[in-house]
Amino acid sequence: MATVNAPTSQTSPASVPPSVFTLPQTAQLEALYTIIRDKDTPRGEFLFYSDRIIRLLVEEGLNHLPVVPKTVTTPTGATYEGVGFEGKICGVSILRAGEAMEAGLREVCRSVRIGKILIQRDEETAQPKLFYSKFPQDIASRYVLLLDPMLATGGSAIKAVDVLKEQGVPEERIIFINLISSPEGLKNFCTKFPQTRVITGWIDKGLNEKAYIIPGLGDFGERR
Amino acid sequence: MSDTPEDGMPNVPLDGGNFGSLPSSTSTTIQALKNTVLKSHGRPPWYGQDGEPITDAFVIGVAGGSASGKTHVARQIVRSLGSIPTVVILSQDSFYKRHTPEEVALAMDNKIDFDHPDALDMPMFAQCLVDLKKCRQTNVPVYSFTEHQRLDETQYLYGAAIIIAEGIMALHDPALRAVYDLKIFVQCDSDLMLARRIRRDVKERGRSVEGVLDQYLRYVKPAYDNFVLPTSRYADIIVPGSDNHVAIELISTHIRRQLRERARHFRPNMVPRRPNDAPVPTETSSNSKEQRHHNLILLPQTAQLKGIYTILRDETTAKQDFIFFVDRLATLLIEAAVELLPFRPKSVETPCGVEAPGKELEAHCVCGVTIQRSGGPLERGLQRVINDVLLGSLLVQTDPATSEPLLLHVMLPKCVRDRGKAKDTWVFLLDAQIGTAASAFMAIRVLLDHGVLQDHIVFVTFLVADDGGVSTLRRAFPEVRIVTGAIDAHLRECWIEDATDENDIHRRKVWVIEPGMGQIGDRYYL
Repeated sequence: MATVNAPTSQTSPASVPPSVFTLPQTAQLEALYTIIRDKDTPRGEFLFYSDRIIRLLVEEGLNHLPVVPKTVTTPTGATYEGVGFEGKICGVSILRAGEAMEAGLREVCRSVRIGKILIQRDEETAQPKLFYSKFPQDIASRYVLLLDPMLATGGSAIKAVDVLKEQGVPEERIIFINLISSPEGLKNFCTKFPQTRVITGWIDKGLNEKAYIIPGLGDFGERR
Repeated sequence: MSDTPEDGMPNVPLDGGNFGSLPSSTSTTIQALKNTVLKSHGRPPWYGQDGEPITDAFVIGVAGGSASGKTHVARQIVRSLGSIPTVVILSQDSFYKRHTPEEVALAMDNKIDFDHPDALDMPMFAQCLVDLKKCRQTNVPVYSFTEHQRLDETQYLYGAAIIIAEGIMALHDPALRAVYDLKIFVQCDSDLMLARRIRRDVKERGRSVEGVLDQYLRYVKPAYDNFVLPTSRYADIIVPGSDNHVAIELISTHIRRQLRERARHFRPNMVPRRPNDAPVPTETSSNSKEQRHHNLILLPQTAQLKGIYTILRDETTAKQDFIFFVDRLATLLIEAAVELLPFRPKSVETPCGVEAPGKELEAHCVCGVTIQRSGGPLERGLQRVINDVLLGSLLVQTDPATSEPLLLHVMLPKCVRDRGKAKDTWVFLLDAQIGTAASAFMAIRVLLDHGVLQDHIVFVTFLVADDGGVSTLRRAFPEVRIVTGAIDAHLRECWIEDATDENDIHRRKVWVIEPGMGQIGDRYYL
């Protein structure tokens, strides 16, 4: 029996850390990225097609959550041995670009709680600095889907996980979701947090001298 | 001037059944309705279990002089046939040629001979009839008598079991005569035809007797003598233009017998109504991997997918949850289905000024067709995945008396209605489940009739019953791909009750999939 792209997550190349999962690299997915990378794509289309990728990423991320056996009775009176979702989740978006992923998250996880983090570069130290955060009170008992569309150097994502760990969220209960990542960023992030899973749609070539992902898609937050 | 032009009245299809209430006097009805589509209770299967059409439509040509009563004869035949599926009466007036501006000016001056065979686009007339006879769609041109020009719009026709082509030149062209199963010539006395014509044109079109006679002598009479009357020798039967009850009775008896014989001849080849009527599959078992792999695609059975199905199968799931998870599942199914579309390389420049190699869709048109009502829950997913997707629908219902599917309504996107575009169109066919596969079978046949290629059809569904009609479906249409999230073991016959009021409870037999999800359309909509 044929299945669509048999493995759930394509096994990543050897150089990629084991905690990194990419979406199945189908022609269809490549076409989606081609649309959002194109500098001439109008905003409406950018929104529509980036939402599609975000939904696929969230669906993939959710597959890393645990399920428990559950038996139900169907309307025809038959019993069905299925599974039930286990554990509570919440989203945390890294401002500003991460907010753009919230709509896609809510299409898959209805009325999910969403926390926010604002991280900016400190001009004095040139290090990422936490400016603002707001989380659900019981975040320590939830699985966290951390949202940031682009993983470039990994600076703010690392800072965000640090903040979440301070809130009591174990590293292994965080799933970091992004659309495009650079090999450098993945290496930095996964070296620091080997237990945190990273779901990425596409791994690009690298960074340019301004630390932008190449070929990338420009400033995600600005294009939305 | 032509046979019976409808001044200022476009040839629109008129939904029917009420033709019986029209006055039967030829002189008043002849110009009322030209191209007419008469629908009845729905169209039973017109194809066998190999998926091929088993019978052509029955085509009748009716010729005769102007005002001889052709339309009347056509309508009387339809009336005496009684309950039959769709009938189309096609007028030759639709097939006047496209004119140059000079010709239009001449026509406005009454200086073009519309009663000459050259005024008609005979190859197109023949092609339309051949398409209809072969159960394909056709787009009939629309001719405006006020503008004296063929309009850019066309009239879409599909699915008629009987086609009646009428016009003074209906028997003139050999290509037309080759299509007809029955050729009728309406013979009428010249005096009577002239009298009817004068009365009609003076009374209803405000013409002077002088003008009518002038046109008659200049165009109508010579055309009749030179082109119309001689074609009577091709007719199978010549019908008098008045007092023709006996002739019409004879004709309809003949047609009924012809239709019955075709039906009897093909009945053994009909699609099985119940899955256990299906012949033993030729493959060793329905689980044979070879049979499965290329045209039945099952989503990866991930934890989330199983969790979604568990919620949807649970009879205690609340309506709002059911709708939410159906939409989510539909999106996943459509995402998997669009992966079957073709792509070609395309390179773009990113905002960073870098060239990025990529891909783009290589399809002229992608659309969705929903099998109503239960295919509707998949539409949201399609709209989330394909921006501004074109959507059509088919209404297929099961005839409670025969358990056969009936095609009740066809509303297809433009790119499918147009035969030239249909072959380049990809269609996502949506239905909640494949049980007996009777409606899936009919829907796929409709698309193939329109010229959509088998391998451009992707059937998307929540559930497939393993022991249902899916194996017959896949044998008949091996290139059609089916995308589903779950394959259930059984199809079971059961009765459901529709209580319209306390005393009036209708029981209808349905096939349910087990363990299944219950009646998906009801749980989503009601």
